[in-house]
Amino acid sequence: MNELISRRALLGSLAATGTLLAGCSRLDDKTPFRQLLGASDGFTMHAQRLILAERALVRELPLAQLSATFPMNGTTMPKGDYYARLLETEFRDWKLRVHGLVDRPIALTLAQLQSLPARTQITMHNCDEGWSAVGQWTGVQLARVLALSGLKPSARYVVFHCLDKLDLDGNYYYESIDLRDALHPQTILAYGMNGKQLPVGYGAPLRLRVETQIGYKNAKYVDRVEVVDRLDAIGKGRGGWWEDFDDAVWYAGQ
Amino acid sequence: MQPEQDPVKRQIDIKRQIDYRHPLPVRVWHWANAAVMAILLMTGLLIFDIHPHLYWGDEGHEGVPAFLSLSGTHLDRDVPQTELQIGNHRWDVTGILGSVIDDGFGGKYLLAAAAPADWQFGATRGWHFAFAWILGLSLPLYGLYLIGSGRLTKVLLPTRGDLKLRNIANEFWQHLRLKRARGESARHYNLLQKASYLLVIFVLIPTLVLSGLTMSNAMTAAFPDLIALFGGRQSARSMHFLAAMLLVSFVLVHVFQVFVAGFFNMMRSMITGRFVVDREDAV
Repeated sequence: MNELISRRALLGSLAATGTLLAGCSRLDDKTPFRQLLGASDGFTMHAQRLILAERALVRELPLAQLSATFPMNGTTMPKGDYYARLLETEFRDWKLRVHGLVDRPIALTLAQLQSLPARTQITMHNCDEGWSAVGQWTGVQLARVLALSGLKPSARYVVFHCLDKLDLDGNYYYESIDLRDALHPQTILAYGMNGKQLPVGYGAPLRLRVETQIGYKNAKYVDRVEVVDRLDAIGKGRGGWWEDFDDAVWYAGQ
Repeated sequence: MQPEQDPVKRQIDIKRQIDYRHPLPVRVWHWANAAVMAILLMTGLLIFDIHPHLYWGDEGHEGVPAFLSLSGTHLDRDVPQTELQIGNHRWDVTGILGSVIDDGFGGKYLLAAAAPADWQFGATRGWHFAFAWILGLSLPLYGLYLIGSGRLTKVLLPTRGDLKLRNIANEFWQHLRLKRARGESARHYNLLQKASYLLVIFVLIPTLVLSGLTMSNAMTAAFPDLIALFGGRQSARSMHFLAAMLLVSFVLVHVFQVFVAGFFNMMRSMITGRFVVDREDAV
């Protein structure tokens, strides 16, 4: 579909000509523009949370509404030998690490994650590009995993470090949410999609589903979960790959 | 200085009636909205750029039929072609609608609206939401002001006389002739004016705000009825776009009418509030 824009390709090629990076530096964190943008996003988050009942659930849809096809967005096949080896061994030797401001750092195999109580939800994935598709996701609630590791009192954010690199800079994908979204009942680490094992194109072995937020927050290829008290030290400090490189809003409940 | 001119001037002044037409809240809301909507339109079009396809219902993505779609066909040609599809109709809109950007090795891409070279899609969304706050918060305040001040009933709602068939026919005729209202009839909004202002304030802008909120995962978790109101998430997105286009049409006609009615007088009245009523017999 070359008539549809691949945002990655667009962004990548713009950056290749140097224009995007120039734009990034022009809108530095210290400029009033950037501060206004940050203030607006913070305002949105607090306003939505005032309005949102504690733990309001997003719509769960009937099986009949499942999309016949679901667009594969972002990375569809992580590059590199490491992921190739994981794939070859069907992720048997892979473990999800949970570390940072936790009582007990843990590492769980896919089998261990699958042996935990599962949640299956049919929800609508809304991409910030504008499209929507319905998928069925099966996984373990993030709250359950965090209960296994325990949280230190200073814990505030959960960062997801992923196995895929975006072409632009060679950094691994990463995203973050705060504890309120992390402990939401519909926030799951999904290993299944549409009744099958999560396919590579959709983020195998594990992807985040944070249903209260928009597409890019739902990190694919999650490898490591880090609990932190602040986001400054992660990437360029805005809490996620798109946030750092495209100035996307961090709180993406919009 | 010839003193004999003074009585003449005074005579003209008597025949010129100055109305205090637009109270401060009206002027502030008008200009704030004009600026905010310009920014919302530009950022909105840049957001539309990424996926220039409109669907009806809940889902909508590549592979699902779109009722309106802008696409770049033959992107590989020297002069890439763009095509607009509405329903089953297709038009070649090369050079009219959509621009194709050439990224060298990255290929060519269709954009519905031209984007700046340092376009950051994520930031564009951020700006759209930042200015949407101003629109969304000022709308109910303005609605309360219109009702509370009595301006809604006194100035905006049609009178019984407005709705008489003879008046409606006459107004259409005057509008078609682009005839400027004078004298007493210039002191009030005419029916078509009232109808378009009411439509903008009570239908179009609320539709834009509500359909915008319906695209939010968090807001629809709190208010699931929003999705039912628009008949699906993608319907809400389409309504958002269509309402925006209607608003653009309104602005075009609105600005045109400012020129018809007298640019200087209209601008003065929307800036200072003071509107000069022409004499009935003035040419």
